[in-house]
Amino acid sequence: MSQLVTGAGAVASVGEGVDEIFRALCAGTSGLHELRGFDQDRYRGRHAYEIDDRPTAGTDVPGRATAWLLRAVEEAVSQAGLGEDLSEVPVLVGTGLRELRSAELAWRDRTGFDIGRLHFGPALHKRFGAVRTHTFAGACSASLYALALGSDLLASGAADAVVVAGVDTLTESMYGLLDRVNSEPPDRVRPFDRSRRGVLMGDGAAAVVLRREEPGAATAALGRLLAVSMNCDARHVTAPDAQGIAEAVHEAQWRAGVKPRDIDLVLLHGTGTQLNDTAEATALADVYGTDVGGPLMTAIKSMTGHTSGGSGLLSLIVALRSLATGQVPPTLHLSEPLPEAAEFRFVREPVSGAGLQLAQVDAFGFGGVNAVAVVERAGR
Amino acid sequence: MTAAPGTVVVTGAGLALPGADTPDALLRAPAPAAGPFDTAPRIGHRGHRYKDRATRLALCAALDALRDAALVTGEDAALAVPGVTVGVVGSSNLGNLDTACLTAATIAEESACGLSPMSLPNASSNVIASWVAIRHGLRGPNLMLCNGPTSGLDALHWGATLVSAGRVRRAVVVGVETHNPVVEDLTGAPAAELLDGAAAVVVEDARWARERGARAAAVLGPYERRSGLGPCVAALLPQGPPPGIWFTPERHEEPADAGGPVPATVPRHDLSRAFGRASGALGVLQCAAAVGWLAAGGSGDALLTCGDDTADAVAGLLLRPVTGRGPGPGAPCAVSSVTSAISASSAMESP
Repeated sequence: MSQLVTGAGAVASVGEGVDEIFRALCAGTSGLHELRGFDQDRYRGRHAYEIDDRPTAGTDVPGRATAWLLRAVEEAVSQAGLGEDLSEVPVLVGTGLRELRSAELAWRDRTGFDIGRLHFGPALHKRFGAVRTHTFAGACSASLYALALGSDLLASGAADAVVVAGVDTLTESMYGLLDRVNSEPPDRVRPFDRSRRGVLMGDGAAAVVLRREEPGAATAALGRLLAVSMNCDARHVTAPDAQGIAEAVHEAQWRAGVKPRDIDLVLLHGTGTQLNDTAEATALADVYGTDVGGPLMTAIKSMTGHTSGGSGLLSLIVALRSLATGQVPPTLHLSEPLPEAAEFRFVREPVSGAGLQLAQVDAFGFGGVNAVAVVERAGR
Repeated sequence: MTAAPGTVVVTGAGLALPGADTPDALLRAPAPAAGPFDTAPRIGHRGHRYKDRATRLALCAALDALRDAALVTGEDAALAVPGVTVGVVGSSNLGNLDTACLTAATIAEESACGLSPMSLPNASSNVIASWVAIRHGLRGPNLMLCNGPTSGLDALHWGATLVSAGRVRRAVVVGVETHNPVVEDLTGAPAAELLDGAAAVVVEDARWARERGARAAAVLGPYERRSGLGPCVAALLPQGPPPGIWFTPERHEEPADAGGPVPATVPRHDLSRAFGRASGALGVLQCAAAVGWLAAGGSGDALLTCGDDTADAVAGLLLRPVTGRGPGPGAPCAVSSVTSAISASSAMESP
């Protein structure tokens, strides 16, 4: 029942397109910058990882997330040779914040915005003729959740191919509320470092084409999806739970038919908040046990910021590129790992030439929604 | 004849809206002069201070549905099955619009320091589904559909898909919308025209429903999402008898030439006229109403439709009586052999 990723697309603060983004990340390039579209004087923190595409610097415009989503899907379907008519192809979009930024601008600044475009169906219909479109607002694991659902559609025979995507842009409400709850405003994202101070948001979109594996198709594929798990802590509305995360990791590996010692690379969720990194480290130490020093581990949010609902799929695309090329992007600003991650084999400098077969990709979100994917290098 | 193995059935329904306490009441005009639904008698005051209105309404409807399905029991609504066997699918388009917009306005007027940290969860669009899971310890997949006018029917589809794929044995599907100055402003509709309420149903694999002795109220039939009402209805009803009842899209206008997709003899109901424009809640509200219609002796299938020809798509779903004809081609969601194999061997299925 294995499934192939046959196309990928992405847009982020560090670049446009999968190749450019992967090159930038492997070179340790960060998208960190002072706030580009919000009034800096209104926050204690002043930084984010934004896509620099506003027509006038400092002035925000509606519809940016939708535009990135369309570009990421375009790149993915083009690479997969799917054509631009998606009228028969399910398109599943995971997002934390939909087009809520456009709604904020419409309400407060009277910027024109059709509230019917809070979800992405209308834009996908207009651009690709897509009708089997679904916008899932599942916080920061939304795009891996969408991947799991797309995978289930393929497994049931309800579709031969699906497009799965994720997208988010900064909303002022989320940026402001995170700024409010940080005890000391972070100046950058420092995943798993003892001196991490919290998360900063990032802009981005990611998309993949997933299809059932057919004989001979693997050679042209970007990689193979073995399994995705989904669960919910059902404990706390914002704080993560190490036990729920451990169960999601265990379930993903079980569904994929692999053991912790088989995993060569982990793309960590790694948001740089006190609670998230501790919970993720505790969960991984628990699941991996004595094998925890085996896989390479890295957290790309140190360069992309937290791209929210799109972050899981962006990590997955990076994982596939790493498996294919042997290059692994580093985790920036990680000087002293937190105690729970003392045994982890973090990638602190760019790696090349690594022989990698299997990767695990983590994504966890508000409400305790956890999703973990296991992917394999194509052509094995 | 009971539901065949592999089918997904509805085993509970719940409501939280003014003027209708039970599903069958949805087919009657709401009691006049009914005030807003008071959530406190059902879920109390404690612990809900910082939850938004949509979340509180959703908690009320979900509790009602879980109780109706006998999945929670007693004064404290204790869960009667393992939490990992239950998923949640929420549906709402407008639920947290007010938090996002009012927060952005406060930042402009004061600064982020003027915000209440307690608003943070409500800034994330999945807060409704999260709280339903937390309240009842539902640890299966937790989805939030924000998919425009079709969202409620899409949520039912994804609830059934989670069950069919063996991810969970059952899922509670909750649709909710509310109104406030932000919603009124951005939708351009006055409060009197907008729903302030929630509906919920429990969808369950027929095998697991039978195992715990739960009563199936309806069978989930095929679901379609197509461009336009005509193609959607045609895909659902390729031939055979017309449905017994048609729940129309919001504010549906019949074409003057009577050439609509559903025969004129079929009774139709536009729940949005009685209860307000229901957006992401409409599909779930229709499902609850169809359950009420079947319970009251309705004959035939119920046709549920959301979205119109101006929307990105129209979604349709057939809800079928439990007794009567068995599942044929294109009938109730059959569990494929592949997913059956997963279910049979899944460790998550036997906690």
